[in-house]
Amino acid sequence: MAILQVRNIAKNFGELKVLKDISFDVEQGQVVAIIGPSGSGKSTLLRCINQLEKADSGEITVDGTKMMYKGENGKTVYAPKKDLRDIRLKIGLVFQNFNLFPHFNVLHNITEAPVHVLKMSKAQAELQATALLDKMGLSGKEKAYPCELSGGQQQRVSIARALALKPKILFFDEPTSALDPELTGEILKVIKELAKEKMTMVIVTHEMAFARDVANHVIFMDEGVIVEEGAPEELFGNTRNERTKQFLSRFNQ
Amino acid sequence: MDWESIKKVTGILFEYLPNTLKLFAVTLTFAIPVGMLVTMLKKCRFKPVSWLTNLYILIMRGTPLMLQIIAIYYAIPMLKANFSKQGTSGWFASFINGIDTRSESYMFTALCVAFVLNYAAYFAEIFRGGVDSIPKGQYEAASMLGMTKTQTFVRIILPQVTKRVIPATSNEVITLVKDTSLANIIAYAEITMKAKQQMNTYSSILPLFIAGLFYFVLNAVVTVVFALIEKKFNYYK
Repeated sequence: MAILQVRNIAKNFGELKVLKDISFDVEQGQVVAIIGPSGSGKSTLLRCINQLEKADSGEITVDGTKMMYKGENGKTVYAPKKDLRDIRLKIGLVFQNFNLFPHFNVLHNITEAPVHVLKMSKAQAELQATALLDKMGLSGKEKAYPCELSGGQQQRVSIARALALKPKILFFDEPTSALDPELTGEILKVIKELAKEKMTMVIVTHEMAFARDVANHVIFMDEGVIVEEGAPEELFGNTRNERTKQFLSRFNQ
Repeated sequence: MDWESIKKVTGILFEYLPNTLKLFAVTLTFAIPVGMLVTMLKKCRFKPVSWLTNLYILIMRGTPLMLQIIAIYYAIPMLKANFSKQGTSGWFASFINGIDTRSESYMFTALCVAFVLNYAAYFAEIFRGGVDSIPKGQYEAASMLGMTKTQTFVRIILPQVTKRVIPATSNEVITLVKDTSLANIIAYAEITMKAKQQMNTYSSILPLFIAGLFYFVLNAVVTVVFALIEKKFNYYK
């Protein structure tokens, strides 16, 4: 069974229909890129799956646990609080503007949740954090504060912070939009590493190189619907969809 | 005034300095936690509570502290007189009647109530500004890491709010040092009250000048203390 199942998700902001009947699956170990123009609903979709927004209707199942579903009377029901919390701990999210805790140093940013949420011992959490930082190429930055790091370094710390909870799926919400083009490469490299380790990832991005180089499945969204989805070679190579062609042509120039 | 009289006046003001400091310390100790409580009430989702809190802040900030001191100090004796004239009973009347307005501590208690109620309103607005200035992303990041609401507030939000409210709080504390002088309106024996008496005794404004120096030195200390606190929080931006 797919590790993430999304069925018929709809979401309105007042009159505006942001998401219209979105369905897709993510398999264990898959790297999915969600692309599309601004305002197409990609970020909102991600936020609905991550419980930062509430979808109006539809079904979401994460790793076999129902997060939201259609109840007996046809109304949308959310899982009990305990299930929602369990689901939240199974997924990690990397934000566009990092959202590191500025008053904690790098090490503390990574150990905070393992120690206070998972009740891991401090020593063990620090050992794990040091290993994660090493993997992110940030050894020696343990004692630095976020304000002393470059954007690319901050984003790598925030990836380490998310990984410290050992999530089953890692989501990225435009992870490079706040970075210089030069720093984008750093993040791309890290995501490629994670892909090699079969980490399941869903990446909302404007960066076509991301979608082409790391994803093994690409979803193209426009105006709240999935226009087309498939393997990157298919979608970038020989799409027959006019809207996809039009969108991609801007990047292929 | 000669040098001897200046020394004498300074000595007298020194004697009454503890009264000024007592009012300052009690106000600060209670107004900050009460201010936090007011911030929470203002942010209450149950609208009537939030509206009542807004009304309280509006009155406290919108009217002079001096009037508030006079009102609170004289309200209780007047209520008592009214109750006995009209024979009112009930829990409120018996509560008011239970207050001994002739006791030593009554004046100081009334002053503290007025100061704390007034300053808590200002502190509440400072804290609210601080809480509102924390980006939504901090709450979202904490929630994605599985932190509870209490953990998020205590471990992530509050420390950042503290750093942000230090400059505004320091302003308020400096004002409080000087505002203690308003207590002289109900003849509380603090520095300004005594300086006025000495001014009449010596027919000179020099005692007022000396009193001014006392406030100046106190505020120099407050300024240094806050600079140190600010420095302590300077390890991050």
